[in-house]
Amino acid sequence: MAKSMLIISRQAPWAGPAAREALDIALAGGAFELPLAMLFLDDGVFQLSSEQRPQAVQQKNLSANLQALPMFGVEQLYVSASSLNQRGLRADALALAAKALDDREIAELVSHHDQVITL
Amino acid sequence: MSTTLHLLSHSPFGDTRQDSCLRIAGPEDAVLLSGEAVYALLSAGEPWRRLQSSGLPVYALEEDVLARGLEAGPGVTMVDYPAFVRLTLTYDKVNSWL
Repeated sequence: MAKSMLIISRQAPWAGPAAREALDIALAGGAFELPLAMLFLDDGVFQLSSEQRPQAVQQKNLSANLQALPMFGVEQLYVSASSLNQRGLRADALALAAKALDDREIAELVSHHDQVITL
Repeated sequence: MSTTLHLLSHSPFGDTRQDSCLRIAGPEDAVLLSGEAVYALLSAGEPWRRLQSSGLPVYALEEDVLARGLEAGPGVTMVDYPAFVRLTLTYDKVNSWL
């Protein structure tokens, strides 16, 4: 049985390479059918904003890769409710369907995984 | 319930890693401070107050504490690199807040 892994993505989409790297890990792991979950925390929730226009800053579209997660078998997608609240964002208005978890539920999510990567 | 050792290495001043870590840490978890994260040990600082009120065990990499002229407050366990490695084996997993 492969070890389960939780990837916590907590950087804004255009702040540097971290958001894309976390996503690459998830997509690569998904392609190898590893049991993966992904959590968007802190500024990482901005990756899920709709109406992003990355071409305005000469960046590639991250949203397309995010939409590919379920196709790669990464279906456990979570977002921090408190990170959304702090930023005035709503879970039902995100570009990707992710389940909102409170802090206690996130602690349990981390606890239930064998490994965790935070980027 | 599995346990996690949270490894922090960024300054808690002007960075949300420590706060987010404490927010989502489980009751059996612990925090290890290294690099700039040891500035959380400043006893008059807000991060130190939040660390203490978390109730979690706090470890600090001794050389990084000494290098910055800081002291470990009550309840903080100073560790060297071999003890650091042993700690990572004591917990089920390590969460490096990169």
